Amino acid sequence: MMRTLAISGFLASLVLFAAVEWAARREGSRIPSLGDVCAYVMRYEVGPVPVGRIGVFGFWWWLGWHFLAR
Amino acid sequence: MEQPHEIAMDVPRAWDRPVVTVPVLACLSLVGGQFPSFSAQANIWTLGTGGALIWLGLGNRVQRRPAPRRLGRGTVWWLLPAALFGVLEGATFVMAVGDEFPTFSRLADPLLEDQLVRSAAWFAWLAAFWGLVRR
Repeated sequence: MMRTLAISGFLASLVLFAAVEWAARREGSRIPSLGDVCAYVMRYEVGPVPVGRIGVFGFWWWLGWHFLAR
Repeated sequence: MEQPHEIAMDVPRAWDRPVVTVPVLACLSLVGGQFPSFSAQANIWTLGTGGALIWLGLGNRVQRRPAPRRLGRGTVWWLLPAALFGVLEGATFVMAVGDEFPTFSRLADPLLEDQLVRSAAWFAWLAAFWGLVRR
């Protein structure tokens, strides 16, 4: 029962990610694409340090390492 | 030597085209897909490919697409899938009852044991990474 709940929930969230991205790519949409959200976050800098880029790259690298190497 | 910012941003590199990058990423993914979890090769391959992409992304060696100056109210829609995923992942992780209420990682592990699926996951990871480097 709990296992089915977890699987359904994760699947629902993935479908929602895809649905929001699809909505963002429609003509005249007010929703930014996930790429635009990431690009906006990556603009954040503290002085000369690109904190946003370092954070996003670090998170994405960790995700790959976690699933593909661990 | 550090390259001048303006030159690196405005002049596209000859290799910076899908006809070059897609086959390169596909080859890297096929190699990565051969390495099982917890192997030294998988760790080295992840460090090497990810490190190279981080190096490219933090320098001005790749032409970047312009980033939006601000995000509209529509951004809140992204909170819906992110919150659902975050709450579920948090709950499954904190409860830690294994296969009875599994985390996303635990569910993905058996799928990633297949080399073809693993290579596809490698490709998705590298392609998204390359997309981030170019933003």
